[in-house]
Amino acid sequence: MEENEFFGEKTFQRYCAEFIKHSQQIGDGWEWRTSKEALELPLDDFEVTESTATNEVIKYEYHVLYSCSYQVPVLYFRASFLDGRPLALKDIWEGVHECYKTRLLQGPWDTISQQEHPILGQPFFVLHPCKTNEFMTPVLKNSRKINRNVNYITSWLSLVGPVVGLHLPLSYAGAASQDE
Amino acid sequence: MTDDKDVLRDVWFGRIPTCFTLYQDEITEREAEPYYLLLPRVSYLTLVTDKVKKHFQKVMRQEDISEIWFEYEGTPLKWHYPIGLLFDLLASSSALPWNITVHFKSFPEKDLLHCPSKDAVEAHFMSCVKEADALKHKSQVINEMQKKDHKQLWMGLQNVVSTWSSQEIETTQRVKQDRFDQFWAINRKLMEYPAEENGFRYIPFRIYQTTTERPFIQKLFRPVAADGQLHTLGDLLREVCPSALAPEDGEKKNQVMIHGIEPMLETPLQWLSEHLSYPDNFLHISIIPQPTD
Repeated sequence: MEENEFFGEKTFQRYCAEFIKHSQQIGDGWEWRTSKEALELPLDDFEVTESTATNEVIKYEYHVLYSCSYQVPVLYFRASFLDGRPLALKDIWEGVHECYKTRLLQGPWDTISQQEHPILGQPFFVLHPCKTNEFMTPVLKNSRKINRNVNYITSWLSLVGPVVGLHLPLSYAGAASQDE
Repeated sequence: MTDDKDVLRDVWFGRIPTCFTLYQDEITEREAEPYYLLLPRVSYLTLVTDKVKKHFQKVMRQEDISEIWFEYEGTPLKWHYPIGLLFDLLASSSALPWNITVHFKSFPEKDLLHCPSKDAVEAHFMSCVKEADALKHKSQVINEMQKKDHKQLWMGLQNVVSTWSSQEIETTQRVKQDRFDQFWAINRKLMEYPAEENGFRYIPFRIYQTTTERPFIQKLFRPVAADGQLHTLGDLLREVCPSALAPEDGEKKNQVMIHGIEPMLETPLQWLSEHLSYPDNFLHISIIPQPTD
């Protein structure tokens, strides 16, 4: 097992379990699901309703999956209006804050694209996972330096989530450093 | 080895005779004739159906046309799956030609990804190539390549055209050979592995069945066992999809199909990965019910 930030599925499951524990404590709705055919790609699911400037209510659904190819977590999400109409990629882009847009437009590997959900088989939007290791490495290195315990999932989600409208309550950070 | 190179060529040039018919509820100004095409197994629907689109749009009004999508016997066809995979999985037990229905309305948002342009196909294709190399080489080979090498892979694939007559096949023979060479000049690097190993780190594969909810099975699987023995196709199935195989004394219930053929289960997985992968560097394996005739 390498010293750096690739991690295996069991570790992913462990961090998710800790994450879910805190989620249940504060009641913000994350759930752990396993596919009945295999345990390999469990997912969490979180629904959030947000109002946009045009007074339309949009429902977002976020799933965290494990990619065995890249050995990192991946964020899948989709959004729809309350009548069920899905948001298109261009609508999603409109919701991304300016400060993230430049970075995302830099290359095909950094961007949001439509992909097939590997368990549900339905179209979702995804942040490409191949750069995850690159931005997680400094985060984890620094935590080790100051001897601080870190939940990979919490740190990762707090970095990628805001790009696509998902904001974790700060209490997750406190929970992460308490778990031994 | 000459024989092995022939396999690469046979895979690359595989074709499926297809008949495209316009959906009956589409609004047309004149009757729409069906359109026949030989589809390349290794390419993608939205890449090779420009002629189909043009043919049907000739008899329709602009306002009745939105994003094109394809369906076979009620199942929307995922353009991001290679054509050969779609055929093997859904239609290989039926008589040829493959009958596909063409739609220009009511895009099935819940089932299909949008394909706004050829760039979307390129992005998807390169994403698969990249993921395959993450499995085979921890992304080292693909990352060492220059952008122009990535482009060359895509250009080689993009020019695998649909044809519709044997005449057209003959006249474009030399062009097609160039595309094959163009593609493999780069792809061969993705098929290499260190001398001290006996194969890739993990094998890029996906196993598809229509009988399950889940679209495909993909897991980490090494081509070589701890004792140095090469894992076979049978070993892979026993490990990740045992229901695909017949029980010891039982009857064979399923076909395990890649590129329209059933490789022997004793075939080394490493060899299959090097020779029967699609251009995206994945082995796309279909498990289908054994035909009863």
